[in-house]
Amino acid sequence: MKKIARRTVTLTLNGETRTVDVSPSDILLDVLREKLGVKSPKAGCERGDCGVCTVLLDGKPVRSCLILAIEADGHEITTVEGLGKDGMTPLQQAFIERNAFQCGFCAPGIVLAATALLNENPNPTDQEIREALSGNLCRCTGYDSIVEAIKAASRGGRDE
Amino acid sequence: MPLVQEFDYLKPATLGKAIKALAGRQGAQVLAGGTDLIAWLADDMADPGLLVDIKGIKGLGKIKISRGEVSIGCLVTFSDLLTSSRIRKKAPLLWEVAGRVASTGIRNRATVVGNICSAVPCTDAGTALLVYDAVMDVRGPDGKREIPLDEWFLGPRETSLKPGEIATGVRFGLPEGKSGACWAKLGRYRGEDLAQASVAVLVSGDYEYKIAFGAVAPRPIRGREMEKRLEGRPLSDALIEEVTALVPETIAPITDIRATREYRLEMVKVMLGRSLLAAVARRGGLSPKYGTSVI
Amino acid sequence: MSELKIVGHSPSRIDGLDKVSGAAVFVDDMDFGPNLLHAEIVESPHAHALIRSIDTSEAESMPGVVKVVTGEDYPYTFGLYMKDRYVFARDRVRFVGEQVAAVIARDPKTAKRAARKVKVEYEELPSVLDLSEALKPGATLVHPELGEYECCPWFFPRGGTNIAHWRKTRKGDMQKGFAEADHILEDTYTVPRYAHCAIEPHVIVGRFDAGDRLTLWSASQSPYTQRHVMAEALAPFGLKHKDIRIITPYVGGGFGGKAGVSMEIIGAVLAIAVKGYPVKVRWNRAQEFYNTYQRQGVVARIKLGAKKDGTITAIEHTMHWDAGAYVEYGANVVNAAGLSATGPYRVPNVKIDSVCVYTNLPCGGPYRGFGYSEFHFGLESHVTRMAQELGMDPVEFRKKNAIAPGDTLPYGAKMNPGNLQEAIDKVATAVEWGKKEEPGGPGKVTGKGFALFWKAPAMPPNAASAAFLKFNEDGSVNIAVSGMEIGQGLLTVLAQIAGEVLTVPISKIRVETPDTDRNAYEWQTVGSHVTWGCGNAVRSAAMEAREKIFDTVHRAKGLKKESLYLEAEHVKSTDDPAVALPLKDFVIDGIMVEDGTWRGGPILASGMFMPEFTSATGDPETSQGGHPNVHYTVGAAAASIEIDTETGKVRVLKAVLAADVGKAINPVLVEGQIFGGLLQGLGTVLYEEIKYGKDGRLLNANFTDYKIPTAMDTPDEIVPIIIETPQPDGPFGARGVGEHTMIPAPPIVANAVADATGLRIKSLPITAEKIALALKGIDYESVRGNYMGLCFKGRPEDYEFKTG
Repeated sequence: MKKIARRTVTLTLNGETRTVDVSPSDILLDVLREKLGVKSPKAGCERGDCGVCTVLLDGKPVRSCLILAIEADGHEITTVEGLGKDGMTPLQQAFIERNAFQCGFCAPGIVLAATALLNENPNPTDQEIREALSGNLCRCTGYDSIVEAIKAASRGGRDE
Repeated sequence: MPLVQEFDYLKPATLGKAIKALAGRQGAQVLAGGTDLIAWLADDMADPGLLVDIKGIKGLGKIKISRGEVSIGCLVTFSDLLTSSRIRKKAPLLWEVAGRVASTGIRNRATVVGNICSAVPCTDAGTALLVYDAVMDVRGPDGKREIPLDEWFLGPRETSLKPGEIATGVRFGLPEGKSGACWAKLGRYRGEDLAQASVAVLVSGDYEYKIAFGAVAPRPIRGREMEKRLEGRPLSDALIEEVTALVPETIAPITDIRATREYRLEMVKVMLGRSLLAAVARRGGLSPKYGTSVI
Repeated sequence: MSELKIVGHSPSRIDGLDKVSGAAVFVDDMDFGPNLLHAEIVESPHAHALIRSIDTSEAESMPGVVKVVTGEDYPYTFGLYMKDRYVFARDRVRFVGEQVAAVIARDPKTAKRAARKVKVEYEELPSVLDLSEALKPGATLVHPELGEYECCPWFFPRGGTNIAHWRKTRKGDMQKGFAEADHILEDTYTVPRYAHCAIEPHVIVGRFDAGDRLTLWSASQSPYTQRHVMAEALAPFGLKHKDIRIITPYVGGGFGGKAGVSMEIIGAVLAIAVKGYPVKVRWNRAQEFYNTYQRQGVVARIKLGAKKDGTITAIEHTMHWDAGAYVEYGANVVNAAGLSATGPYRVPNVKIDSVCVYTNLPCGGPYRGFGYSEFHFGLESHVTRMAQELGMDPVEFRKKNAIAPGDTLPYGAKMNPGNLQEAIDKVATAVEWGKKEEPGGPGKVTGKGFALFWKAPAMPPNAASAAFLKFNEDGSVNIAVSGMEIGQGLLTVLAQIAGEVLTVPISKIRVETPDTDRNAYEWQTVGSHVTWGCGNAVRSAAMEAREKIFDTVHRAKGLKKESLYLEAEHVKSTDDPAVALPLKDFVIDGIMVEDGTWRGGPILASGMFMPEFTSATGDPETSQGGHPNVHYTVGAAAASIEIDTETGKVRVLKAVLAADVGKAINPVLVEGQIFGGLLQGLGTVLYEEIKYGKDGRLLNANFTDYKIPTAMDTPDEIVPIIIETPQPDGPFGARGVGEHTMIPAPPIVANAVADATGLRIKSLPITAEKIALALKGIDYESVRGNYMGLCFKGRPEDYEFKTG
């Protein structure tokens, strides 16, 4: 088999410029976890169905299991490690205070999806929140605690 | 987990270079959104040897609406459709379709044209655009050509695209005068799902109806006999019953792991009736609002 | 008892920050350096076949491949309750996807490619894919050597058949019982297999180092039991319990699927095969579906007799279980159901037959509910039907027969505390039982359904929990247990229990995830028993620590021990209000006395809890005698639904669930179980559906076609109700609730569908498709195609309950 040349990919990861050598067939999720040291995006189904691999690509939630690492060249990737660098965001605080998560495996993906939602739509309705999360599977919580925390965060943490 | 395949990767800056790259390697595939292709590769269904990423080519990501024609470039994603106020206003059927494709994370990458090129029998974009008599723009080693959408789909995962060609966009004319439309997509629950059956209805002008069905035949199809019966006639219960009776001879659903043939038949009847009513109501500016599912 | 300050309140989870910040480490997140090897499994394409030969030569010669192993290398059986499995299939394969060989390579891609080069020759055997065929005389045997298998003494396999276990419960006189009945109702119900779908797939990393020490990092609910099962199975390698260390960090959901030992033993033997190298085996989502435990399918026949005033006189409940290719764990599911399939009712005459049948499908095993989720569908559907046939309100019927503390259980022991009457009343009120809801539009109908539920932990009679506890210089506490945090919030609850006893705030208490070298013993985190069992152990350890604290103060200060108490991290005395010794001053250093010498020293303690009243000595023919189940948690639930009669789609307007948990240590976490469990249960009744082809291959081993609930699929409203009738032997009165919240979902929906439409659907799932077709007069069974969800394809009434 002809040897495929490796490529150098330069991307901004959580605000920092990073360079990594990849093979074109390397998946972004795997490179993030194994070569770039971010463990929060996870492998749950590797077919884009469950959402635990979610990262923000140029601010938008995407499935890193369906993106080649090389496609990230020149782009910005944000993971949960990058969100809370200066302390937990109000959204993350709301999740913690309200015991929104149980096993926590889906949490990074949901935190990013909800962060992106609130950036676009600071006052989402219950329906809009659920639609934004519809691609993030959670087997533990039944979702209501997560949705309530997002609502609280969008109200500035106030209880209604 | 890594892909088993090894392939080379090019990201040309122009369409010409992309076509050349495809021509240079048999089995090479175009990479746009990747949500279908990468999953396909992960299931070991192809070994392309070379991927040609077209996301670096300028001008392919535009939504153009001018002089009554909508043109959607091949890099336009479903999220682009969903956030376009012009699409929402002028082609609300497409806006409604986009909101029901998968979920946000997929929509941010998956392209409309890519969905059409995948040609799965349950294609959302491919089914809905049939009612607009859309046309695919294609570029290849022999130059440009255009393929009407209803000649595009040959069978499951089979299109009229020749090897080495790239679909650069899809376009269609907007109906004149008042129009209303409805997209009904049957899923197994409320979360994201592939269509078990889908119906698109467009009514415009003096009650000219266009109807398309997805996931109930090897490819998306138009209900031309139904359209003839409906032409020029305002809806009534009797008329709806008349066209609904044509469903069994219009579609050819099968029983698979997603649904039975019988359920698909029954549901398409229900979806057709409800979509016709909704499309006509919307044509008159009445509810249900676009984005409200009728099924 | 003075007012509780921490227990009974709902502080934030102590692992919340870890999980929301991305800091929480799961097994696949751990780094093992550049020497980490990767394994890929070679799987059987057949449901039942002899292995004629395996040629690993091409795979072995690929660059990057370190080793290839097959079943030949491992003639060791293993299993929790019965030893019926090999690590890799040896002479034959018994389900599609079963592991036949493994390739270990330097990188995952090479491992994958090399695995495809392993050539296996099979000789197909007839597959056992039909329950009634499996039970016929002369049937193909899935385990021809069943008669020689080692199993626990309270299992009764029948060698020479496909019956791996048969639990019989007999109480009273069935003839008399049915003779006394004014009305008898008999019918059959079927429940297919289901998949856990924990979002984290199974994964294990093993390292057998040069010093012959085997360390395993495992995504498991059961580190100590894993160690035990592996120590027994791998003894031929010279390994003893002390030589195996299992470390389990956070686990991304278990639901029973990560209990026992399934794929983890592969990691152990591969580590031994490549001594000195860490090796990882990680399941992909498809393998997660077909090569871990599944919830077993069951065909159940219920015959219920009652007087016209509604008093139940007799229940006959026969269950034939599609238990899969290996039942080392699943046979206990069959056993548990066999002891309790009367449901939470007072029944004088009982006949239960629970038959565990080998089939050529993936292993059945523990899944939230452990047999109770499976049998409550039929039972609670049947109870409602009986009530209606008697002209009685289904809630009134249940109130009349609900089991009460002190009543006799099906196997002779006595029922523990639990207020079912209160649960029923509160649920009926919350769902507005008796009020017909207005449908939301034309073509829609509404209905309500009710169900009771109960469950006891199904454990061996000596399942113990233990805890180590120590103080630190700053007055903070470390607790080391092996109860697993699988999402339920166990670590937080244990911190609350210890904090209440020691008056230390939970922000100063760390509860460590298991490491079998360092943490105290826990049998398994299953059965909804760890708040109770491990909670008791932690409380016991905290009390021992408190004793030691008082002892130190007494010896150093002369104060009477009986006068000492703890308050806000200080030792105080009723004899002298001026005394207020901060714990942090002496819990490591001790207390200096007048002559400059010191008393006391580091405060550390241990606690152990073993239920010393349980026994599995029931008569094999009747199950009478002994006390096999520690206690039951009881409750009631109801659903209010709306159905679109054209599409069959069900909308759950309101779901209500009340559980008597004894004492809610953390009420918000209990509610979390209610919300999460109800939704998981609703998934199993409304759209989750396992589909096998006629060759035994799982066709929907992915989330595209096995749909689990999303944020869009929740009921419009869920009303959680917590009832607290203390469990005398529980920590602060607590009982478990983790599994119970899933159990009533299918029958409340089935009963509501019947109420709304008149349709009585007796096989799960009750999908929109089934409802829509039934309403149009189309028989689903005759159009569904060749798919099956359990080893029985047909209408419930077609199944003949014959056992040879």
